[in-house]
Amino acid sequence: MDNSEITQHYSQQFNADLEEIRENVLAMGGLVERQLENAIEALKASESDLADTVVANDYKVNAFDVDIDERCTNILALRQPTASDLRLVLTVIKTTADLERIGDEAKRISRLAFQNTSSDPGNLYLRIEDLGERVRSMLHRALDSFARMDVEGAIAVAHKDKKIDRLYESIMRQSITYMMEDPRSIPLFMNIIWSARALERIGDRCCNICEYVIYFVKGKDVRHISLEQIQKEFGE
Amino acid sequence: MKSRWIEELWQLLIILFLGTSFGLLIDQTFLVIVVFLFLYIFRTIYNLKVLLRWLDDPSGNEIPSHFGAWGSIYAKVSRMRSSHHSRERKLNRMLGEFQSSAAALPDVTITLGEEGEIRWFNKAAKKILKFRSPQDIGQPLTNLIRLPELRDYLRDGDFKKPLEISIPGNNQKKLSIRITNYGNREKLLLGQDITDRIMAEQIRRDFVGNVSHELRTPLTIISGFIENMQHGDKEIPNHWEAPMAKISNQTSRMKSIVEDLLLLTKLENAKLDDKGGLINMKTLADNLCMEGDLLSKKEIIIKANIESRASLKGDLGLIRSAFTNLLTNAIRHTPINGEIKIEWLESLDSCIFSVEDSGEGISPEHLPRLTERFYRVDVGRSRDTGGTGLGLAIVKQILQKHDATLEIKSSIGRGSRFSCLFPKSRCFLSKN
Repeated sequence: MDNSEITQHYSQQFNADLEEIRENVLAMGGLVERQLENAIEALKASESDLADTVVANDYKVNAFDVDIDERCTNILALRQPTASDLRLVLTVIKTTADLERIGDEAKRISRLAFQNTSSDPGNLYLRIEDLGERVRSMLHRALDSFARMDVEGAIAVAHKDKKIDRLYESIMRQSITYMMEDPRSIPLFMNIIWSARALERIGDRCCNICEYVIYFVKGKDVRHISLEQIQKEFGE
Repeated sequence: MKSRWIEELWQLLIILFLGTSFGLLIDQTFLVIVVFLFLYIFRTIYNLKVLLRWLDDPSGNEIPSHFGAWGSIYAKVSRMRSSHHSRERKLNRMLGEFQSSAAALPDVTITLGEEGEIRWFNKAAKKILKFRSPQDIGQPLTNLIRLPELRDYLRDGDFKKPLEISIPGNNQKKLSIRITNYGNREKLLLGQDITDRIMAEQIRRDFVGNVSHELRTPLTIISGFIENMQHGDKEIPNHWEAPMAKISNQTSRMKSIVEDLLLLTKLENAKLDDKGGLINMKTLADNLCMEGDLLSKKEIIIKANIESRASLKGDLGLIRSAFTNLLTNAIRHTPINGEIKIEWLESLDSCIFSVEDSGEGISPEHLPRLTERFYRVDVGRSRDTGGTGLGLAIVKQILQKHDATLEIKSSIGRGSRFSCLFPKSRCFLSKN
């Protein structure tokens, strides 16, 4: 919550280093947001050009991942940070790992856009779009709460994951019904399930990012704890 | 001013004189002078104490009044304080007025510090970008608006062209961002909401596209039947022949207008891409010359001058139709036995394709509007020569798609020169 905690430090250079990795994570986040946006757009309009760009730009996300990791290793080795500095470095390392995975999922979704066919029984692609829109806004808010180190925002984002899980399940159920009715449609529905699955995974990773934010601010590991409990403890 | 301290000096001398005379009177000169001087010093210290106490907490205590130099010091300090106060109040009011007027600006206004951190933002920024005050003060702007293009824009530091972004988290809304440097590497960012403008543009584009598309079918049917009637088995009555020819003429003209409008719409909606192969300009120019000779029936001399060996990267079909457009325009406006020169050359920062004619020329007031749709320099005349009025608009669109610009130079009576300036990044030297 308190940004000054990050910014007040005896060594100016150390300060700058910490601020820089934070900025880099958010720059990477911006790139991943764009990748996800393009991937969903490609899926929606089955635009192969856009899907191509997503696949082609994935290396940029990976480059960010490697670069930030290296910076973090340097900070750990040279400065031996403690307390909130250490938590920031750990948070950054974990967040980049999750962002990199989100980038991979975006690539996967755009690959599926290549195979998207025009037939769409039961408007399932519409529902995928809805799911995609929700996941996108979730990622956006998760990164916002990372930028502001905002615990309440993080908890609010984590709440959204429930709705996404429900949507995912209902898409799954519907797909299974269609597949049982007509086995010829299995390849199509496999694509749909894969995209839905990728989106649902992205939602989970956004939740992880929020947990890291809570860890950084409160100094308490809240992974594998139910949302209600987290809220009881930290929600104001 | 001098008199004050002289007064003080006189005071001291009077005290010394009184002390000496009193001391002489009771024969204790030294002791009395010491006592008098001690009293004088005590008074000075007391005054100092009063002054210091008043300076520490000027609001509570009335300004102590005094005579002599001390009174003058008190009065001066108090005057300085009050003038300082009123200046501060004035500045504060001005600052407040400025900030509240900036806060009320309908455009997003953000001031950025040297490192790109947010120093201040207005209400519109709060509303449109969902910034929070005061938590977001001091946060780097790119942490909150994480668009890769904004990051690049800020890093490159070239703010001549505004940047159009869609608002993160709300893709329907578009902002046009302008940045100005001021002071010591600080920046002022203005973001104008251009959602409506973009929507209106899109609606206009769609409308033109749809109308043209809808007109195509009826036109085809009309022209089909007219052709049938003209070249059918049955003779048409004599007095109908001329009107029929006119109808057929105008229908085909209308058809070409519709085709051009559709092409324009397609060009406007198409995304800019880097695809397309290398175009050999020598072959293209030779083809153009041949085409030109056919069109002008060899009544006009067409020369090609290919100086540069560079090939152009782009869409052959589009580039060809742009150049053909320029050439047919030139032919249309060049009198018999005139001369047209096609050139392909390199300058310092661009490759230039130009078409120069020896026609009647265009007067300067028309030049800036020439690429507008249906803009006519001479309404009566140009319709007869058969253009659709969309040629240069199409050329401009095609050039825009290739990062190129159109430059028109003309002088009345001497002819015009249409140049397409392609950036060097699109020109590649061919090996042969």
